[in-house]
Amino acid sequence: MTLSDYDPIQLEIFKHLFAAIAEEMGTVLRKTSFSPNIKERRDYSCALFDAGGLMIAQAAHIPVHLGSMPLSVLAALERFSEAEALQPGDMVILNDPFRGGTHLPDITLVSPVFDESQALLGFVASRAHHADVGGMTPGSMPVSREIFQEGLIIPPVRLVRAGKVNQETLDLLLANVRTPLERSGDLWAQIAANQRGTNRLVEMTGRYGQEHIAEAMRQLLTYTERMTRSLISSLPDGSYEFEDCLDDDGISDQPIPIRVAIRIQADSAVIDFTGSALQQAGSVNAVYAITLSAVYYVFRCLLGLDVPNNSGCLEPIQVIAPIGSVVNASRPAAVAGGNVETSQRIVDVLLGALAQACPDKIPAASQGSMNNLTIGGWDPKRRKAFTYYETIGGGMGARPGSDGPSAIHSHMTNTLNTPVEALEYAYPLQVSEYSIRSESGGAGKYRGGNGIRRSLQVLENCQVTLLSDRRRFAPYGLAGGKPGQVGRNFILRDGKELPLPGKGSLELKAGDLLVIDTPGGGGWGKG
Amino acid sequence: MRIGIDIGGTFTDFVIFHPSSGEIETFKLLSTPQDPSLVVLSGLERIFEKYGRQAVVVHGSTVSTNALLERKGACCALVSTRGFGDVLQIGRQNRPALYDLFADPAPALVPSEWRLEVDERVDHLGHILKELDPNQVENLITVLKSAGIASVAVCFLFSFLHPDHERLVTDKLREAGFLVSASHEILPEYREYERMSTTVVNAYVSPVMESYLAHLEDQLTRSAPEVSLQVMQSNGGIIQPAEARRFAVRCILSGPAGGLVASQAIASLALPGEKLQVITFDMGGTSTDVSLIDGVPQITTEAVISGNPIRIPTLDIHTIGAGGGSVARLDAGGALCVGPESAGADPGPACYGKGDLPTVTDANLVLGRLLADHFLGGQMLLDEVRAKRVMECLGAEMGVSSTRAALGVVQVANAHMERALRLITVERGHDPRGFTLLSFGGAGGLHAADLARGMGIPHLLIPPLASTFSAFGMLAADVVKDYTQTIMLPGDTPLTELERLMQPLAERGRSEVHAEGVPATDIRLEPFVDMRYAGQSYELITPFHPGFMLEFHNLHQQVYGYSHPEAAVEIVNLRLRAVGKITPPPLAARPMHAQQPNQAWMETRPVVFVEGIRQVSLYRAEALLPGNRLAGPALVVRADTTLLLGLNDTASVDAFDNILVQVGK
Repeated sequence: MTLSDYDPIQLEIFKHLFAAIAEEMGTVLRKTSFSPNIKERRDYSCALFDAGGLMIAQAAHIPVHLGSMPLSVLAALERFSEAEALQPGDMVILNDPFRGGTHLPDITLVSPVFDESQALLGFVASRAHHADVGGMTPGSMPVSREIFQEGLIIPPVRLVRAGKVNQETLDLLLANVRTPLERSGDLWAQIAANQRGTNRLVEMTGRYGQEHIAEAMRQLLTYTERMTRSLISSLPDGSYEFEDCLDDDGISDQPIPIRVAIRIQADSAVIDFTGSALQQAGSVNAVYAITLSAVYYVFRCLLGLDVPNNSGCLEPIQVIAPIGSVVNASRPAAVAGGNVETSQRIVDVLLGALAQACPDKIPAASQGSMNNLTIGGWDPKRRKAFTYYETIGGGMGARPGSDGPSAIHSHMTNTLNTPVEALEYAYPLQVSEYSIRSESGGAGKYRGGNGIRRSLQVLENCQVTLLSDRRRFAPYGLAGGKPGQVGRNFILRDGKELPLPGKGSLELKAGDLLVIDTPGGGGWGKG
Repeated sequence: MRIGIDIGGTFTDFVIFHPSSGEIETFKLLSTPQDPSLVVLSGLERIFEKYGRQAVVVHGSTVSTNALLERKGACCALVSTRGFGDVLQIGRQNRPALYDLFADPAPALVPSEWRLEVDERVDHLGHILKELDPNQVENLITVLKSAGIASVAVCFLFSFLHPDHERLVTDKLREAGFLVSASHEILPEYREYERMSTTVVNAYVSPVMESYLAHLEDQLTRSAPEVSLQVMQSNGGIIQPAEARRFAVRCILSGPAGGLVASQAIASLALPGEKLQVITFDMGGTSTDVSLIDGVPQITTEAVISGNPIRIPTLDIHTIGAGGGSVARLDAGGALCVGPESAGADPGPACYGKGDLPTVTDANLVLGRLLADHFLGGQMLLDEVRAKRVMECLGAEMGVSSTRAALGVVQVANAHMERALRLITVERGHDPRGFTLLSFGGAGGLHAADLARGMGIPHLLIPPLASTFSAFGMLAADVVKDYTQTIMLPGDTPLTELERLMQPLAERGRSEVHAEGVPATDIRLEPFVDMRYAGQSYELITPFHPGFMLEFHNLHQQVYGYSHPEAAVEIVNLRLRAVGKITPPPLAARPMHAQQPNQAWMETRPVVFVEGIRQVSLYRAEALLPGNRLAGPALVVRADTTLLLGLNDTASVDAFDNILVQVGK
């Protein structure tokens, strides 16, 4: 059975079938992983690709992985071609940000899927944020100056060959991380997730036939492309520009401007980041995959809920990001924070520009940071090294028509918090406050959402690393709304308050209280 | 006499069982949504007048469910450890919809002004870091009294390890006359937000349940003092009203529980012998419930109702927003979508004569699968012309005929339901090829055989009691009580130590079930441990016996595809289910008749299948006799549902009037 050019029924059926594969992979990964980042905070994504590496479905997990997962598959395909072509049962692991990755803790596992006759059906991939991949600070989210300080770099290599784990590769990998048992557990969870996805795609092919599946994949890509074109057509033609800044790169205190011009013409768009800052000495650099993800995210939000997440969305959109800039960094730039902080600012400038084109659809700026907090050290009571990583929610920007929600993750992330009781079972830390910062949202006709205060007492000497932004430049308001309050970080030591920078790494003494106040969202409309 | 009552949105069903004669009687009355007790009392009065005023009444109530869904619960307060009251609103700090800039998370059930905090702190070993000052409790009482708040949730950090502080506040508040929900009583498990949410939901819905049950009991005491009332819970068991009033959160998902209990009772009669493996399928007008029975109904502790996690053990029923009334439309990209919008009962599907939106029901009518003159036993004539017209419009948009459009609507609806069925089977490590699909919803009979075919499910079971199925389930339900306790111990903890820790749960279970009136010999205790590999975050509920460790590894292998028998294991929670066996109404087997179903044959009608149009025999279900055999294609029409047999399906009627379908290719 083959499909006609356009079949609304098959389209809808396969939309669900493909999405179900990605979601089932996610369930397996979440339920069997060991990193709190994956299991409690759900910092992972799973996706399905066609034989050419185009993304067909991604489970609704983490937006920052959206545009970047296809680049992982392409990197694997590029590395393993011709004589070295991937075989059934192979799985390729990678985290190199300049070869298909985003930042080093995000480890991606790509599996080619073959049918019984060894024909390539497509790929499945899982990406998870591992709690530690080595490097200069526990948690591998340092304020670094080059990528080599950020941890182990894994180019595309086969972790699994013909169904058998390559123990030597795994040994090398585990020798370079602070918590090897946890790493190994997480990798097993990713292998299980990929295996599940592979089985499902093979089963589906058995039921519908390879040609039918391939045609359905093509149609779904066209479908999303059609939806995106219809969306872009609804925007008035023109060029919309916006600029905003990251506070600094954690090394110098120079603001880092990010600039965008969105040129809409008929049913296609050019997103031009020319004029953005050059890549920085600190770790705020975003690789191209991140910038692509941010663009993807913004258009995906405007598209509506039923549209499948696939590569078709980017078809009518051209992204210009100058090589060597903070939005398209080159090796050996430090990139740990590009994924988490710069990605948020890229979204802010995109939304700021689009607010001129469709003001009734765009909220004011959200907190614009993920407030990355990493604490690591030696836990003498549990007799093991520990690494705790958390991102903290804040205020979302007010929308035309409603207040922004408080104490929530916005835009490029949607990770869960670590429950206080789970955290205290696992680490020498004690949470003393987890509350909503009242009045931190920007005023306006509609108020921005409030940020969060999270205070932790460290019970042992340890090292803390902060990667946070919007400590100087507040989240903007729109249509006359006021900006949200900036965030701030400080410690209380012996009763004295010591301010901390937005980005930095320092030693804490047992008994220190670390306080993170996250930014509020901008207001919308004159109050 | 035992009476089961199930209150639905439109009808309230009554099932009466007379143990002396073994007879079962059913009737329906229109529900009274503004005060559900009205219909309960009038229905009971009707029974009492006929059969006297001695009965056990089992009551399934959606009072607490609706209070939560419609946010009409009590104004309540939360008392928490200082610095953590906002946890209720922050939740897990994730947003509900990833790509919707305008979505709002559900507002917290307790607004910030009534989230009160006290100084106290316990650590993860159960040691007190900060003592609770009793004076603060006195202040609380003053504040709450002056605000006129009557229901209070109390949830402190690590109270499941060291409940003294929570207990102190709870005792004082109760002495002062407040209705208190304490987290160490409701859910002594770790993870503060989920425990807090469950506790707050209890505080929110209990006063509503309390006043409802108080009123009902009061009325019953006057009219029939010898009647004893029991209430259905989300775990499929029944409890005394006094318990339901204190722990209303346990009844929140009791609505569909009756159907699942009935499924188990019916299926164990119809499919005797081997281990019961059944997938239940309840397709209604706006939604479809599916669940799995693998020996016993599956239990989950991950329920979320309108944004509120409820971590008490609940029958694992998966609901999707697709049913007979689901509306079909083409979206902007040109895909045919079905649901989640529903035409509801008003205007209803186009063929009801009012609406203009094409629905799944209209599609079935256009395909000849639903019969205009046999709907609801012929009480309501469906408008075929109207259904055809809306399907033609939809077809025109797609560039196909109304028939092709209708087939498409059915296929897409089936795809939704298949996804739900896959979620509860293959995704959880169950092979559907070993299961029987049991369909009991009004709209399900037209879809069940095709779904079974698509999933490789070999058998389909259609029970006769469909329209009062849930109420029948109330009569078959056991007394069930669940207990948990977080212990967080390593896997090498000696068995004797675990047994010692389980002992208090077992004693409580035994005595509390006994207090429900169950003789000691009918009480069964089912101990479990929630286990995971050290470092994981999700536990598998594993039966607790000397070989439990091996069983855990096997379960992990089955559910997730791998296991690590050499890795360290953690025992997170102890869990005990205490079951008081209730003898379900014994259904009498009827004598078998000839295979030919001639007496039930009515006529032939044209029906559209994917393979083309076929002339199909039409049978009246009520006239079928045990032993009759049917060959597809066929339609079996019953007052409340229609069963469609595909071209290669065959069916037989068993001694209990169940129709058992052998699903063909």
